[in-house]
Amino acid sequence: MHDSKRFLHPEAIKRIARLDLRARHIVEGFLSGRHRSPYFGQSVEFRQHRQYTYGDDLRYVDWKVWAKQDRYYVKQFEEDTNLRCTLLCDVSGSMRYGRGAMTKYEYGCTIAVSLAYLLLRQQDAVGCVAFDEAARSTVPLRTMRHHLDAVIQALSVSSPRNKTDLAQVLRKVAESYPRRGLMILISDLLTDRAGLFRGLKLLRSRGHDVMVFHVLDDDELDFPFSGPTRFDGLERSQQLRCNPRALREGYLAALNAYLEEIRRGCSRHNVDYALLRTSQPLDAALATYLSNRLGMHHRNRN
Amino acid sequence: MPHFLHPNLFWTLGLPTLGVLALPVLIHLINMMRHRRVEWAAMEFLRVSQKKNRAWIMLKQLLLLALRMAAVAMVVLVAAQPLLPNRWSGLLGRGRTHHIVLLDDSYSMSDHWADTDAFAEAKKVVGRLGAEAARQAEPQAFTLLRFSQVGRSQHGTQPDLLKQTVGPDFLAQLNSVLANLKVSQTAAGPLAALRAIGQLLGTADRERRIVYLVSDFRERQWNEPTDLRKELRRLNQAGAELYLVNCVEQTRPNLALTALAPADGIRAAGVPWFMQVGLHNFGPSPAREVTVLLSEDGHARPAVSVAEVPPGQTVAARFPVSFPSPGSHQMVARLESDAVAADNYRYCAVDLPADVPVLLIDGDVQARGARYLDWALSPGGAVRTGLRTQIETPRYLSTRPLKPFRVVCLANIERLEDSAVHALEQFAADGGGVVFFLGERCQPQFFDDSLYRRGQGLFPVPLGGAAELRVDRLEPAPDLQVEKHYIFRVFAEKRNTFLPMVSVQRYFRVAKGWRPPAGSATRVIARLRNGAPLAVEKSFGKGRVMAFLTTAAPVWNNWARNPSFVVVMQDLQAYLLRRPEETASRLVGGPLELSLDAAAYRPQVRFSPPADSGPAVVVNAVPDAEGRFSASLAETDVSGFYEVRLTRTDETPEVRYYAVNVDPSEGDLKALGGEQLAARLEGVKYHYQQASLPQFAASDPSGNNLGEMLLYALVLLLLGEQALAWSASYHPAGARAVEKGVRPIFAAGHRGAARHGGTA
Repeated sequence: MHDSKRFLHPEAIKRIARLDLRARHIVEGFLSGRHRSPYFGQSVEFRQHRQYTYGDDLRYVDWKVWAKQDRYYVKQFEEDTNLRCTLLCDVSGSMRYGRGAMTKYEYGCTIAVSLAYLLLRQQDAVGCVAFDEAARSTVPLRTMRHHLDAVIQALSVSSPRNKTDLAQVLRKVAESYPRRGLMILISDLLTDRAGLFRGLKLLRSRGHDVMVFHVLDDDELDFPFSGPTRFDGLERSQQLRCNPRALREGYLAALNAYLEEIRRGCSRHNVDYALLRTSQPLDAALATYLSNRLGMHHRNRN
Repeated sequence: MPHFLHPNLFWTLGLPTLGVLALPVLIHLINMMRHRRVEWAAMEFLRVSQKKNRAWIMLKQLLLLALRMAAVAMVVLVAAQPLLPNRWSGLLGRGRTHHIVLLDDSYSMSDHWADTDAFAEAKKVVGRLGAEAARQAEPQAFTLLRFSQVGRSQHGTQPDLLKQTVGPDFLAQLNSVLANLKVSQTAAGPLAALRAIGQLLGTADRERRIVYLVSDFRERQWNEPTDLRKELRRLNQAGAELYLVNCVEQTRPNLALTALAPADGIRAAGVPWFMQVGLHNFGPSPAREVTVLLSEDGHARPAVSVAEVPPGQTVAARFPVSFPSPGSHQMVARLESDAVAADNYRYCAVDLPADVPVLLIDGDVQARGARYLDWALSPGGAVRTGLRTQIETPRYLSTRPLKPFRVVCLANIERLEDSAVHALEQFAADGGGVVFFLGERCQPQFFDDSLYRRGQGLFPVPLGGAAELRVDRLEPAPDLQVEKHYIFRVFAEKRNTFLPMVSVQRYFRVAKGWRPPAGSATRVIARLRNGAPLAVEKSFGKGRVMAFLTTAAPVWNNWARNPSFVVVMQDLQAYLLRRPEETASRLVGGPLELSLDAAAYRPQVRFSPPADSGPAVVVNAVPDAEGRFSASLAETDVSGFYEVRLTRTDETPEVRYYAVNVDPSEGDLKALGGEQLAARLEGVKYHYQQASLPQFAASDPSGNNLGEMLLYALVLLLLGEQALAWSASYHPAGARAVEKGVRPIFAAGHRGAARHGGTA
């Protein structure tokens, strides 16, 4: 493991109060650990040089070639336009849960901002939608560096509340973002699975690449509770008194069935899926993102 | 009705605690209320799980509740130790409880202190045992056996109570029995009682047996515990519980009279003779200035004072007695009161004749030897020796019975008819005394062939012929050299003047090479200056034979003219008249047996025990193989004088007295403590208890104690409760358990992420 990894643990990141600094810390840390990676810069893959013609963006002029040959060439990339990435971040009540270093909400926001930072650093356009049962705040797609502040602003809700209604939200998003792009859904997906899959299907049908970061807390995955406990629902006014150990087996069985259903659903709609624990280092999301981006390019190229 | 080993514990503590049986319910409900609150997102899965497991969880919780209530109840029951009544356990193969009390009533139990004694304490113990048995609801039986009642010769073992069912009137019956019990004067030990109960009661098939040995545990009876240990182990193996209850707490000093018997002298009416009394000090310190009170024929006589009796030793004291009239006389010695009274008395009955007949036979017509003997034994006149002599010729031996005589003296006989030899041998074998003096008429051949008979006959030595004792003027030693012997007491002093004055000129040699046979009672008691035997003693049957190898008359010697001759001859008669069996003490508990001449007595014999100790018993004597009547009083329960009334065939009555004494060794009061007893009873399982302790362990109520079984059940119950509580989530999960739970889920998620990520 790289040394930088230890600074990417949620416990370490939690100490950084500002979200933009967190994102920078994560991304820089991640990239510094990945500088030998074959995936470096692959998100805007270089294709060829082309003779400069009028109207070309001067930013793509290869000045090193000009210095050697005194000719203007522009670097031509695989995709000559910026990547449009919309971060769909769940800020519903269920995201409020977390007994580790971060709640799911904090973890999800940190991932979202880190991805935004990474994308903006690569001159990609980043938009953001914070949602619960409806979109609570929307940030349009922009490529400016200072756009990160807008993303952070949109994610910084006072407290997550309300239920999640992904079907509704995803339908709205599909309508709001007609141009094809990358949709990154960061959520605990504790919602109606049919609505979720309908939404994902809709996004895919509109030509979006969709990536799902499924954020769950350790407790939710392991259910380590014991002793008489009253569970109060975070999204609905539900209560359940029980001895957790007696229910653990059944709970884990239901959870595994649910995760399997999610995986199968994502797979069915060609949606990249990654399950993240809130105790995992935060670079896992970035690694997944870059890995999947490479997969997308290959997939699109083929 | 429940039955508990600690009923107080149950009723005062247990019952309220049983009321607290509701406590687990309360705790259970409080636990349910006292839940932790968790805001939870994934309620959906919880609901699914709960719906699926609801029935099973409820069942587990009810089971857990029941287990906890049972555990609380079990704790109370274990503390109170319930007893399974024997009527129930009878169904399981056990029956009633049988209390078998072996009560020591030997006279050492009369050891008294303060206002009580050991036997009174023992009776209290038996009373308490009876009361405890009567309190039990289950069937109980009670057997009471005193040590002194074991193996009685007439009736066999006689328990006071045998397998007595404990009913409503049992206590009254027991108290009545106890009120009549007194300490016996026997020295009966526990061994016979332990052996007897096995024979009396048989095998304990369906009953629980508790044997209580209530005794004073004197060291004397437990010093050789091999047999006792064997008997006690046998009881252990038979399944009986054993309780040893000690009724004394400390050893008290005790003085005992161990003997009262005629000492020496010719016992005849009007003649002074000596008696001897023996004292033993069983205490740890010397007893000083001990006075032995004496009474003769019921009249007090001067007491004997003993300066000191060292601890653990016996001291004998002699005192002179003289009864003016012939017949049966009673002598009683008594000590001052001490710890035990029974051994402070000693009885001796003496049957005195008017005089003792002595037959003097002389082979010489002039009977010089017999006459000298007659002068020495019965000088006549005012001097009374108690001996009545009769001078006869050897033919008298063949023609007249010798039975009326106690001693026969033969002097200078030439030969005897065979019938005379036979009569003499019979006389000696029956306990008579025979004395030989030789002389010039004696034929060594006859003596060797008829009287010596290679050692089988009456005469103690083979004769070798008459010999002269040469006069050696240079030798100052006296002619007569005596060994230490009763009859030569007169020569015993170092500076006695009699011995050098005795001179012997002629004597009979013993056969060459003769030596007293090894291991025999033949002994040379006097020799001549040259070492030749002069006086030889031999035992023959019950009697004794004394041979002087010289003349009685002053023919071959001058002894008869010496005053010492008279003294020696008197002492010789006293010596030959000794019959130890006549003065042997009879012990309490043993039979009193008489052998009567069938021709002289009627068969009816009336035995009267000592005053106030029981009614007289008339026994019909039975003829034995020798044609004599044999009559016996089977049991002698107390010490004292037993009167025996006989009727002669001429219808004249005869009264005899027999003294019966206690066994003095029982007066040794050295007692054993619990530890000393334990050392002697290694390998025996028993409970030891002091009778004085108020909590008497042996009074435990009967029944099979279920405490231990319940304890095991409680442990199992608690283990089950813990397992169930863990499975029902009432214990915090350990870190390892969490890790175990995390690993598959995390791994699945992680692998899933990689897989789906890679293939999406």
